Amino acid sequence: MDRIPLLLLVAWLLPLVSFAIIAIGYSVPQFFGIRVRYSTQKYGAYISVAAIVAACVLSMTAMFWCWLPNNPLKSSEEHEGHAEHTAMASPASVGEHTPFKLVAQEKSEPSDSAATATEPTETERTAAGSNAPPTSLTGDWYVLGQFGNLRLTIGYYIDTLTVTMFCMVSFIASCVHIYATGYMHDELEDYVDHEVHLPNHEHLHRRGRFHRFFQFLSLFSFSMLGICISGNLAMTFVFWELVGISSYFLIGFYIERHSASTAANKAFIVNRVGDFGMLIGLMMIWTTLGTFNFGDMKDADGTVHPGIFSQLRLKQNNYELAPADGMIAFEARAQVAEVVRNGGDDAAVKNLITNLRNDTNAHWGQWALLIAGVGLFCGCMGKSAQFPLHVWLPDAMEGPTPVSALVHSATMVAAGVFLVGRIYPMLSPEALLVVATIGCITLILAASIALTAVDIKRVLAYSTISQLGFMMLALGLGGWVAGLFHLITHAFFKSLLFLCSGSVIHAVHTNDMRQMGGLRHKMPITAYTMLAGCLAIAGIGIPFVFGFSGFHSKDAIVEQAIHFARTNGGTHPWMWLYVVIPLIGAALTSFYMFRLWYMTFAGSPRDPHKYDHAHESPPVMANVLIVLSIFAVCAGWSLSWVGPGVLKNFGVESLLEQARPIGILGNKPGVLLSTLVIPDEHASHATAVKVPAGVSAILVALAGVLGATIVYLWESISAASLRRSMSLLYAATWNKWWFDELYDYLFVRPTHLIAAFIARVLDRGIIDGIIHSLAYIVRGFAQVVGIGGDRYVIDNAVDTFAEKTWDLGLSLRSLQTGRLRQYVMFIVVGMIVLFIVASLLVKFAVAG
Amino acid sequence: MEAPIYWPSVFFFLFAGLACAFALAVVISPNIVRMAFYLVLSLASTAGLFFLAGADFVGAMQIMIYVGGTLVLLVFGVMLTSQDRFISMKTSTFDLGVTGVVGGCFFLLLWYSALSVPGWRGLSIEQATAAESQLQPTATQLGMGLLGVRVDAPDHSGYLLVFEIISVHLLVVLIGAAYLARARRRKTLAVE
Amino acid sequence: MTPYLLASSLTEPVGVRHFLVVGAFLFICGVVCMATKRNALGILMGIELVLNGANLNFIAFGSPYLRQASESIGLDGQLMSLFVIVLAAAEAAVALAIALNFYNSFNTIDVDRADQLQG
Repeated sequence: MDRIPLLLLVAWLLPLVSFAIIAIGYSVPQFFGIRVRYSTQKYGAYISVAAIVAACVLSMTAMFWCWLPNNPLKSSEEHEGHAEHTAMASPASVGEHTPFKLVAQEKSEPSDSAATATEPTETERTAAGSNAPPTSLTGDWYVLGQFGNLRLTIGYYIDTLTVTMFCMVSFIASCVHIYATGYMHDELEDYVDHEVHLPNHEHLHRRGRFHRFFQFLSLFSFSMLGICISGNLAMTFVFWELVGISSYFLIGFYIERHSASTAANKAFIVNRVGDFGMLIGLMMIWTTLGTFNFGDMKDADGTVHPGIFSQLRLKQNNYELAPADGMIAFEARAQVAEVVRNGGDDAAVKNLITNLRNDTNAHWGQWALLIAGVGLFCGCMGKSAQFPLHVWLPDAMEGPTPVSALVHSATMVAAGVFLVGRIYPMLSPEALLVVATIGCITLILAASIALTAVDIKRVLAYSTISQLGFMMLALGLGGWVAGLFHLITHAFFKSLLFLCSGSVIHAVHTNDMRQMGGLRHKMPITAYTMLAGCLAIAGIGIPFVFGFSGFHSKDAIVEQAIHFARTNGGTHPWMWLYVVIPLIGAALTSFYMFRLWYMTFAGSPRDPHKYDHAHESPPVMANVLIVLSIFAVCAGWSLSWVGPGVLKNFGVESLLEQARPIGILGNKPGVLLSTLVIPDEHASHATAVKVPAGVSAILVALAGVLGATIVYLWESISAASLRRSMSLLYAATWNKWWFDELYDYLFVRPTHLIAAFIARVLDRGIIDGIIHSLAYIVRGFAQVVGIGGDRYVIDNAVDTFAEKTWDLGLSLRSLQTGRLRQYVMFIVVGMIVLFIVASLLVKFAVAG
Repeated sequence: MEAPIYWPSVFFFLFAGLACAFALAVVISPNIVRMAFYLVLSLASTAGLFFLAGADFVGAMQIMIYVGGTLVLLVFGVMLTSQDRFISMKTSTFDLGVTGVVGGCFFLLLWYSALSVPGWRGLSIEQATAAESQLQPTATQLGMGLLGVRVDAPDHSGYLLVFEIISVHLLVVLIGAAYLARARRRKTLAVE
Repeated sequence: MTPYLLASSLTEPVGVRHFLVVGAFLFICGVVCMATKRNALGILMGIELVLNGANLNFIAFGSPYLRQASESIGLDGQLMSLFVIVLAAAEAAVALAIALNFYNSFNTIDVDRADQLQG
């Protein structure tokens, strides 16, 4: 257990080492004009692959040899039993301290956890619904700087979620790295970019940059793992931006293509919008809580500094969310100032805050809590491409396909969902409603656009956005496990789908599905692994018997949605939309996924030329697809039948159940919206919810598949006639609901106009005017000095000196007659003079 | 006659007069060949003065090296360049005048300085006779001095180093002179 | 006056100063020779005269007959004059070589024509 931080640290830093090696060994020499040979570039990829595979092995070691033996998993029935009946068994805990001495503490003190089961208050607490904090390791590795109270550190907060994310990210990253060694093979020779047209009507010829791709992949893996392990929000933000920049590099990998560089810029700028909100959230947290740490930190002298979670969910408050004192003080600045001005001491301020807290009508501190939560969620919206910041993700498909698979489906966009999961204890029910609403809008919007897209990668991109919407929805409706469960399963099947599409693109050299068809004969491995992925994402399965991974996670989401609607539907009938829309979304999902599969692999070839040239991908790619397809099928399974041991009850769901953050179980009534209740997640597994949810989910999924089969496989209804009958809807989805145009008119053009105005009036008129007039003044001054001072005074002095020297030389020159006899005379006369002078000197000076 | 004639003085005046007269002749004569001849005589007379001063070896060297060597060299030079227009070259009277005046001034200066030191006046006859009685040839002493041993004044330093340097110098000079004056191969000869 | 002077001179031993006057005369003659002769060989002769005059001074200063032996510089004078003679010979050889070279190059021996170094 105490080795976990070290293991994860090494796993986290290995990709950075690989990045550094490739940067120093390849990119820096290339920057100075040294051409790295292709045979050498290949080793850069090997370094990168080795680093990420080692990171994966280390993560797995941490999971199976260090974490699980100390924290045995429980089956879901056990959890629910606890929720419904008695005190919940606290997570097993470990007594040692972490090996990093600086500031390290484990949250579950042994005495604490041993006592939880028997404490009388425990029954009350669990009756109220809240759960105790999960086992976690916290600590700091390195202090970046201490500015007053603000302590910026590189620290860790490791719980089951962290370890699970490490395993998932490093595993998928390993798969993608290995796949990319095959996919990016073109870059190992001089590359002709057929999509770049030079002014002389030729295509761009450039050197391949194989190593650079892997360099950025390594940087990305490092950043993503950094987010997962980060122990405080400041560090999260740093790696958040690092992920953004690696994504920027990777989208813009084909930098010469205008579309790629624009897409990279777009992704970066749109993310900045979200990060602005995130900064607001960070400032709010810093102002009101005075710390960025997730978990509690123990100082070297033993003082415990409570982290965000324990400040917002106090133990004496049964871990229920309540605004911290700082938040109330922040909102009641005026009153606090009043007290202080009247000479009140700290106790008086504290007293005031307690009074304000007890004032149930005014909800002091709730808005601060909401702003902090929604602010951070803004960052997640940007990174996870949620409405209205979803526009960058489809354009990001300009990057190479492995990038799309790793960065834009499985991991980076998952960072947003992960962060929502991580900060979940500090999200108030109102903030959760915002999350759910955004997710709901996103999922239906993206699914509708995916219906009509013809670019194979764009279909997958919109499906990614839609699935992220599902996750956000689940989280927002109180389904913490459901949302993150879907995150994990989605990562597997979406990376599989992307890698399959990459394989197809590799074979036919186009993204347009209208030029494909019938490819399953040519590339069976790709076709059937992709079919597994499609079944998984569609959530196909036989209820209670067998299901692809997506079936389990989507089922959980629908359960939570139905549970939520049942809880709130009485007061707010419109809340049933949170059930209807995901169900429509699920139907659309299976429809467009099978549309994709049929258009690509089934039927007859639409473009015989491309069909003839198609071929199965090399083994290095195909094998990765097979491995991933296995995970896509069974990532949702739970090994409840395995006997005692590490793997007992092993499954993503039980892992996440173990990681469930502090105090989120139970029905959570809203404060600002008093009629809103975020329901208990465990209650959603009740049979009354489970059965209709399972049935409806599988029915809509099958309906989607059926629809796609009718239209695209049997072609009983022609797609064209459908298109005509719903022309308005078709136009809307085809144009992506005009979001790009809307933003263009709303933001881009006004910005351009303002920029043009500023450039013309401010820059050219005022600033340039000032600068020009300054320049004229200086020039005039210089002319005066130049003519008056330089020419007349200095030049004349120098010239006169030179002339005099010249004249002296000329006059002395006549002495040098070259006549020998004259020289003799000079000598004689000189001697006489010397003689006389010497005599006179002797006579008058020395002797006299 | 109140005092007998002291013959060394007579010879002194004789040789001094000859030397000065021939030196003046060298200056005055426009003919280069005669100049060489007068110079020989002047130098020879000076050698006589050396003998009178008791420097027998140096006087002999004067005759042998100057008269017999250097002067022969000069005469060779005269003969090698003996075109008619160079035999007698007139100097402008102005030059002669100026030079004469300046030279005269210089001479007067030197004369004045020579006469102004009392110790340079000369010995009495008795002293001179006593000195003559100790007359001995100087060749041996000079030879020893050049080899670094001072017989006459043991506390004075020898001249071995100077001697060696002079020797090397002479060698260098002779080689250099031979190089400078070597006969250039004429083109006509080559054609021939 | 003059006959008396001459007579008294003849009856007394001569001193250093007599030699010095003769040396000075030879020296001046050499200098005048150098300054007036246009023939390079004439100038060489002037130099010889100048050196000879200087030599005479050395001899005079080193002579035991011309003043008290204790004041005389002894054999050093003769040694010096020997060196001067040798150096004069060497100088004559080099100067003659230069003169011949000059003659060969310009076909003249007139030093007034050797004014290429004039300023």
